[in-house]
Amino acid sequence: MRPVNISVRLDVSITPRPWSPRRLLARGAWRLIVLGVLAFAAIFFVVPIVWLLLESTRTGPQSQFGSPLGFGSFNQILANWQVLFSGLLGQTGTWLANSALYSGSGVLIAVGLGIPAGYGLAAFDFIGRRPLLIATMIAMLIPSNALVLPLVLEAHSLKVLSSPLAVILPYGLFPFGVYIAYLYFNTPRVHGLLAAARIDGCTEWQAFRAVALPLSTPVIGLVVVLDFIASWTNYFLPWAMYSAFDLPGRYPVTLGIAQQLMAGPSYGGGLLRDLQLQTTAPPSVEALLILVSCAPVIIVLLIAQRWIVSGRLQGVFV
Amino acid sequence: MLLVVVGIWPAGYALNLALTSFGGAFTGLTNFINTYNQGFLVPAFEHVATFMAIWLTALIVIVIGLSLVMHTLARRVSAPFRFLFYLPAAFAGSASVLVWLFMLQPGLSPWDFVLHMLGYKTLGDSLISGNLPIVYALIAFWTGAGSWILVIHGALANVPDEVLEAAALDGAGPVQTALRVKLPMIKKWIVYMLIVAFAGGTQLFAEPQLISQVSQRLVDPLWSPNTLATYLAFQYDNFNYAAAIAIDLLVVAVVCAGLLVFRTGLFKAD
Repeated sequence: MRPVNISVRLDVSITPRPWSPRRLLARGAWRLIVLGVLAFAAIFFVVPIVWLLLESTRTGPQSQFGSPLGFGSFNQILANWQVLFSGLLGQTGTWLANSALYSGSGVLIAVGLGIPAGYGLAAFDFIGRRPLLIATMIAMLIPSNALVLPLVLEAHSLKVLSSPLAVILPYGLFPFGVYIAYLYFNTPRVHGLLAAARIDGCTEWQAFRAVALPLSTPVIGLVVVLDFIASWTNYFLPWAMYSAFDLPGRYPVTLGIAQQLMAGPSYGGGLLRDLQLQTTAPPSVEALLILVSCAPVIIVLLIAQRWIVSGRLQGVFV
Repeated sequence: MLLVVVGIWPAGYALNLALTSFGGAFTGLTNFINTYNQGFLVPAFEHVATFMAIWLTALIVIVIGLSLVMHTLARRVSAPFRFLFYLPAAFAGSASVLVWLFMLQPGLSPWDFVLHMLGYKTLGDSLISGNLPIVYALIAFWTGAGSWILVIHGALANVPDEVLEAAALDGAGPVQTALRVKLPMIKKWIVYMLIVAFAGGTQLFAEPQLISQVSQRLVDPLWSPNTLATYLAFQYDNFNYAAAIAIDLLVVAVVCAGLLVFRTGLFKAD
């Protein structure tokens, strides 16, 4: 009987006091403040994107003389689209294809090497395993920009500066993929399955191919998503490999966007305070270019938001 | 293997270049001392330090603040906000710089009223040198803050409910719970965020490079260590000096990574 009594008493003490109108009001006010703060922050993050969407519907004069957040017409999107792909900025298609080629190949290499490497680190105990793991973690935590200059110097000495490989191979280096695969395979469950497979007479290759690989689809998904976003949005590496050597045919779309700022005619005076933004095409076309170039990443974000969070919590940042 | 080809070999090669002269003779630390004496490297690091002070403060105050505020709401209510905060990450890289150039151009910008209040009439007014660290921090915050909010919110979600109930029973209000209970429990994630953001901040490149380009070099092209190094390499063909700066930056990055691996206990190698 006594334990029951105690639990009853505890229950009573936890039960909140009945809501007095004053407490209700205080709680409502608190919630309102919280939502207000969040809405205020959301405005900061979202207004530039809303502006891009609205701007892409406008004509040159509309963006010059209209109010900054005005709407043009849906037909104008089509007109701007034509400027983007066949008119003034006819290279947009090439840039997008280059971006797809570089990040796609990079992702393939990252998966092809990272998953087996992580498996090897988890399944076998060999000399130098721990130093190798630590090296992997250090490499994954170094900002990718830190390796750009050394890579350029290396590519320069190997004479591969102008080749797509100069960008693809570094995109394929994704130590986080190795680490996450290692974490995934290094669990008692996977170890047990592998031991069972070996007892049943599997060779090492068969154990990897038939047991480990089918288990690793979530890891592969995570590596694909994160390496793709990192590669697609990378600017410094392709800039250093191509831009300085004037190879516009090799540009990924991040460099294409940067080129929009290059072509403006010089302004009078040469004083900073006279500087106005000059772009190759009208702002509305540039806004559409930005939206189109970032669309693949937005789509991936929409599909894979949960994976990205779990990746971040485990140490990757893109 | 690939780690060696595109990770360790270039680092070694850069180190070799950094330690040799233009002709290839071994010169020890001369390149490091020369880049230091040239008088551009120290200002570049100072610029980045100013940027970092703003950026890291914003991360601590706003990111942690927003995460704590969101954590008092139901997941269902806060999820759309988290997604909106994270969306600009898709515009990372050169796209975000172009977007913010539009945001800073009086007449075009949806923030025109703010620019007007500050008395800015041209893009150049927005980009006066005192403003640059703020502008770069704004861009970094716009593309980067959302993902850190996801991380801190994820860490907060792991704080056990019992702990929060106990705090409520002891009479802690929402503010007290946030500061005295939740913050200490997510300390290591905050340290993680700060170290990673610091390491990334030293690498600042796209923003100063593009903004210098759009101003036809009226804005300092040697603003950050990385733009300085690329300028030395590509404008003066001085790959040895560039390598010395690259090594300086790589040392900072490796020290930060080492701190994360060996000190925070977030990563396990067993």
